[in-house]
Amino acid sequence: MPVDWPRAAVALGLLLAAAVQAQPSAETLALCAACHGPGGNATIALIPSLAGQPKVFIENQLVLVREGLRDIPVMKAAMERMTDEQIIELARYFAAQPFTPRPVTAQPDKQRLGADLARKALCGTCHLSDYVGQQQVPRLAGQDEAYLLQAMKQFRDQPGPGRDTIMSASLYGLSDADLANLAHYLAGYRGK
Amino acid sequence: MIVRTLLAASLLSLAACQSMSPPPAAPAATPAAAPPPAWQQGRTADQASSPLAPHAGKMTATPASELPLAGIKLPPGFKAEVWATGMPGARAMARGEGGKIYIGTRAIGRVYEVTDSGGQRTSRVVVDKLVQPSGVAFKDGSLYVMAIDKVLRFDGIERNPGVQPVDMTAAFKLPKEQHHNWKYIAFGPDGKLYVPFGAPCNICVPGEEYAQIRRYNADGSGMEVIARGVRNTQGFTWHPVTKEMWFTDHGRDWMGDDSPEDELNRMPRTGAFYGFPYCHAGGVPDKDFKKANPCDGVTLPVQTMGPHAAVMGAHFYTGNMFPAEYSNVLFVARKGSWNRTKKFGYDVVTVRAGADGSNAKVTPFMTGLLNESNDTFSGRPTYMLQLPDGSLLITDEQLGAIYRISYAR
Repeated sequence: MPVDWPRAAVALGLLLAAAVQAQPSAETLALCAACHGPGGNATIALIPSLAGQPKVFIENQLVLVREGLRDIPVMKAAMERMTDEQIIELARYFAAQPFTPRPVTAQPDKQRLGADLARKALCGTCHLSDYVGQQQVPRLAGQDEAYLLQAMKQFRDQPGPGRDTIMSASLYGLSDADLANLAHYLAGYRGK
Repeated sequence: MIVRTLLAASLLSLAACQSMSPPPAAPAATPAAAPPPAWQQGRTADQASSPLAPHAGKMTATPASELPLAGIKLPPGFKAEVWATGMPGARAMARGEGGKIYIGTRAIGRVYEVTDSGGQRTSRVVVDKLVQPSGVAFKDGSLYVMAIDKVLRFDGIERNPGVQPVDMTAAFKLPKEQHHNWKYIAFGPDGKLYVPFGAPCNICVPGEEYAQIRRYNADGSGMEVIARGVRNTQGFTWHPVTKEMWFTDHGRDWMGDDSPEDELNRMPRTGAFYGFPYCHAGGVPDKDFKKANPCDGVTLPVQTMGPHAAVMGAHFYTGNMFPAEYSNVLFVARKGSWNRTKKFGYDVVTVRAGADGSNAKVTPFMTGLLNESNDTFSGRPTYMLQLPDGSLLITDEQLGAIYRISYAR
């Protein structure tokens, strides 16, 4: 994975400049940005973008990671000593960042199948009809395709502690190909 | 210098980021017939575009200054105060002989302990990383914790805070489904541990191990199924005079805004059938699972408790602090609806009834958490616990707080 060092440095500088009270510390934001991109717009495959995600969703996920209920080894050290207040600040920050949809190479057949499945599985009930998410429910529209597929497989195959049983149950019985179509459709969704 | 440290941290983190490989692929799944998710079962085609969905929980601590204390309304003479906060997801409480309070949770996976050192309360996490450890009970110096897939006993925990738990899981033979199998547990007057196993669905024929209440000896032996046809009870208690069990039960969803209502039931004998999935509330036939005379042989509720109210804890008041008219009156917490166009519940009510359940009358007790003008809520009461002085603790699961309700003339 090539890293654009000058850009990363500029981003860091901007983050430092933007550090004001009631915001996460620049150091924390830099740590997040290393994987999740500046302002939470990630470019690395399998890393979700955090920009524009609902605040409660980010809060809850960070708590689950901190508690070890959602096991993400690379985040462990950073999260371990984080207080609820710091988590709330981070969530507020990322929820307020403008979201840049991830690039997708559109495959119309997969999109059609995915759209059909999304309708049948009633994804829009909780994720809202344009898949922007709400409250504890994440935004799906424009998220990284590989990440969406991986997350759905985890929900379906390993519904572990802290994972939403409603979400797991929503995916029972769907094949790998079904999930790939869903991920492709949602990643490429740009609004009605 | 700061920038260099930051860059170093960032580089480290980036390196970690890049070395992260996708998790090993799970074995190719064999697609079974896809059942709808439990909470959506029974939903009709015309409800497909309904925006109703379960409400978000809050997993971070709420400071006392952000609690809606000022909005809480009680009958004259009663007063609410914040007794403890900062315990996200706080649900059922159990009190140790030494006065410590133990509190279960669901998603956040923790059990809390609150110590009251006279005017000031401190809390700590006793155990975490469990799958919905909502069941807590206390007996003979031991704390019992029941999660979906685990039963733990902490012997002498009040004196020995670091005690390692005894794993009792094998003896209880818990079934594997999670939905509606988060627990409320309590020891009955007979010293047995009472445990519900809810229907793993909104509406279905639940299978042998579900939609029932069981009791066990404290060590997990001697299991008996004592009631069937119970969809999802999240609270029960025993009548102070008759010693019969009274229990709340959640009605099914997606049958409309106003029906079927939740239930308050009474168990004068073991072995009774309470209707699920064929007969709901005070005699409402199910629309998906039909049979002739669906309510024949069904023990109907003492009282229906409102549509989608989410009836939780139940407690008969036996203290000396409240006025005499509250003696042996049942308090029921209603966590509040999601599957209803206009929200309903979000309160604590009293139920005055004869010891045999006759002439039951529901009266609001603690209100003010539901704002009907804009259809929003500011708290979700779930369980009560009576303190030795006769005051009543009430948990708010939404904000992770405990209120104390007292009375003074």
